[in-house]
Amino acid sequence: MKLIEKLWQALDERYELQPLVDFAKQKAVPRHRHDWMYYFGGLTLFFFLIQVATGILLLLYYRPTAEAAFESVQFIMTRVPFGWLIRSIHSWSANLMIASAFIHMFTVYFAGAYVKPRELTWWTGVALLLLALGFGFSGYLLPWNELAFFATRVGTDMVSKVPFIGHWLLRVLRGGEDVTGATLTRFFGIHVAVLPMISTFLILLHLAFIQRQGMHEPQEEPKLPPRPFFPNFVLREFMVWLVGLALLAALAAFFPWELGKKADPFAPAPAGIKPEWYFLFMFETLKLLPAKVLGIEGEILGLAAFSVGGLFWFLAPLWDRKRVRGEKSLFALVVGWGVVLYIAAFTALSYLGVFQ
Amino acid sequence: MRLLALFAVTLVASPGLAGPLPRVVGIPGKPAQDQCTACHQALDEPRLQQPALQAAQDIHHRQGITCAGCHGGDPTAEDPDVAMDPKKGFVGKIPPQKVPEVCGSCHSDAAFMLRYAPNIPTDQWAQYKTSRHGLALVKGDGRVATCASCHGAHGVLPAGDARSPVYPSRIVETCARCHGDVALMKQYGIAGTEIEEYKQSVHYQALTVKNDLSAPTCNDCHGSHGATPPGVSSVSNVCGTCHLTQREAFDLSPHKDAFAAMEQPACEACHSNHKVLQPQDQWIGVGEGQVCGNCHVAGDLGAQVAQALFQALAGTVERMERVHQRVEQLERRGMLMDEATVKLEEAHQALVLARNEVHTVNPQRVTAKTDEAQAVLAKAEKDAEAAEKELRFRHNGLKVSLVVILLAVVALGLKIREMEARS
Amino acid sequence: MDTGNKISRKGFINWLLGTSLGATVVAALYPVFRYVLPPEVAEAPTNRVLAGKLSELPPNSGKIFRFGAKPGILVRTQGGEVRAFSGICTHLNCTVQYRADFQHIWCACHNGHYDLQGKNIQGPPPRPLETYKVDIVGDDIYVTRGA
Repeated sequence: MKLIEKLWQALDERYELQPLVDFAKQKAVPRHRHDWMYYFGGLTLFFFLIQVATGILLLLYYRPTAEAAFESVQFIMTRVPFGWLIRSIHSWSANLMIASAFIHMFTVYFAGAYVKPRELTWWTGVALLLLALGFGFSGYLLPWNELAFFATRVGTDMVSKVPFIGHWLLRVLRGGEDVTGATLTRFFGIHVAVLPMISTFLILLHLAFIQRQGMHEPQEEPKLPPRPFFPNFVLREFMVWLVGLALLAALAAFFPWELGKKADPFAPAPAGIKPEWYFLFMFETLKLLPAKVLGIEGEILGLAAFSVGGLFWFLAPLWDRKRVRGEKSLFALVVGWGVVLYIAAFTALSYLGVFQ
Repeated sequence: MRLLALFAVTLVASPGLAGPLPRVVGIPGKPAQDQCTACHQALDEPRLQQPALQAAQDIHHRQGITCAGCHGGDPTAEDPDVAMDPKKGFVGKIPPQKVPEVCGSCHSDAAFMLRYAPNIPTDQWAQYKTSRHGLALVKGDGRVATCASCHGAHGVLPAGDARSPVYPSRIVETCARCHGDVALMKQYGIAGTEIEEYKQSVHYQALTVKNDLSAPTCNDCHGSHGATPPGVSSVSNVCGTCHLTQREAFDLSPHKDAFAAMEQPACEACHSNHKVLQPQDQWIGVGEGQVCGNCHVAGDLGAQVAQALFQALAGTVERMERVHQRVEQLERRGMLMDEATVKLEEAHQALVLARNEVHTVNPQRVTAKTDEAQAVLAKAEKDAEAAEKELRFRHNGLKVSLVVILLAVVALGLKIREMEARS
Repeated sequence: MDTGNKISRKGFINWLLGTSLGATVVAALYPVFRYVLPPEVAEAPTNRVLAGKLSELPPNSGKIFRFGAKPGILVRTQGGEVRAFSGICTHLNCTVQYRADFQHIWCACHNGHYDLQGKNIQGPPPRPLETYKVDIVGDDIYVTRGA
């Protein structure tokens, strides 16, 4: 004990750490009926950290070329001790991170936490969700199995519908005209270098904003005395993280992630190619649209609608004037529930096979 | 004509001698220079112009043999009357009956051919004389195939040239020019459907789809220059030149003597002659569409043996398929199944050998091989079981850690409650 | 509740928390520890394998080795040269073998013959066997495919 105290003194003397400790002691988190939602941001961060850790581990054996990618993943799963576990956790944690991020976003939205002064927190948050989707899309291809290959081919093909620069974008994304080993190398670079760098920066910014402004408190909730951040909130958050870990273990146990079959670019696409669940609602909507709507290609129209809708959602802090004044906004509520129901319904119906 | 050619050869062969320039046969390896092609190329009538145009790619012309080598005359004369003077040996169009003789005048002369293509045989004419074509020609039938029917008259290419009508992959079409003509073939008592049947065979598939030039086409069984249907007694010999293991197995079977006694072609009885299809295990039996039923009836010894053979094969195939799917699924789930895959290959190999043994129609010999396959499959099943056990072990291990984590969650919950109750 | 009970309850919670958290940490770190240590086979044996020992391969003999599940054949010629080919017969995918009496490669299934360059010379095989690259380091024979 003496030693630790001495060490602390030495460090404090040099770096003036006491004010930080005092601040942590003072720091408190609001308490109310819906304070459970504060844990989802942290849970998303937990899954992100799991992704970083397992991702680095996978890098020890993974090889990003069309010839060796599938074999290296197979090697990880079959010959490296616990490789199957690391890979299964990486895959499941990715899904849980995106699910948790979605829940986090919608709770923030319905609590009206995005209005002034927290516009930048909302914007960095939405950007982080998009980056998470980018992680999912780029990572899905890396095992180079049949499903991943064709899902990527369909997914990247959407990009070509963008007016004027579509074809150019497609070529940039795929590293050529078609999905090939060049695409794999590109996606690998994006997945392990570009996206982590931007994400880390945005996460730090996102956290700094929260730290600076404190948690948002919904005005309609009855006030309770705030909960000390340390240790009460931290321990609870830690408990949630443990639940997240339990969920990962359960998913890895009951639904071990499969290796699949090696991709053959010249084989016909297997029936029922679907993207990951978080892209399903967009995928099914675009499939539902007729080929031509008012002389415009249906898919272009759909993509335009998603872009406009996404932008509208992104800009919520600007158009939602009522909540800024502290009033209830029926419009925002209707929009929110509309989006939730639409995404939930299309995803569920797709799994039920209604669209086939 | 032959004398003429030989005369020219002697001249070329002794360049030191003074005398007339080589006219009919030039220096080997150097394209022939003659007046015939120069004039004929300029003619309007296609019948007379085409041979001259084709001469450029003709192997003989390219090797220095002028038109006069076959047609006679003086290839150096500019005046057509002199060039095509019958007194100078000009014969004009060569009638079919004369064709083998004209070609043979050089191609049967080993000493002459040595100067041009030392490794091509010189017995084609001799063979031809024994062929159905040759025999009919002697009797005055001008419609049967002669050298030119298959090799072409002008613009003849070496047989190894992929553009030649006698190149392995093109022989079928060449023979089909006559043998595919049902009306014409009827006059010779031939069905004329052989070509169409052959095109459904595994041999044609191998030749055209796999581009396996060693796969048999018409001439590999019938002979080229001595083309004749193989006799009943030699069918199994002919098939056996490639299908040696099956023939050896067949020779062990009671069928060998039985077919010989009946004077029936052996292989053909089950596999057909031209329409040789991919053999199926389902053929074994006396039911509808099954080959044993051609001679045997339900209840006889043959039918019983067929039943035993089929069951041995079908049981192995079925089990192999089951193990294969199980192994493949485990592989998809990320298990290392190399050992089981190797065993599946071994089982496949034993099954291939068992199918060879079917030709012995000895159930013991067949089951010896299928038992071998079954034994290996049992080992592969053990591997699959081990992999499934490993998966269960992982599953249970994760369940244990799940309990541990949940316990930690509960403990933490209790700790928080206890802590907050204090304050 | 009396104080003693309270203390023991608190003690029990602390013990439970400590033990279960400790076990969780072990359960998380042990796989990582094992994962980081290189596995027995350091590389996916797909393109390059240690196919055999030179000392165990006398002239005029052959040996089957494996690329994962796929067989390859090592052949040592009369002259002592080592060559490697795919071991899969191009006819019906049986595994070929070296026949010392023929002094070339042979497939038992349908009597297919390949010469010591892997070329199909007799019987039903439609194509030659694929040739692999051979490297000899000391006594070890390494075979690389697709090189």
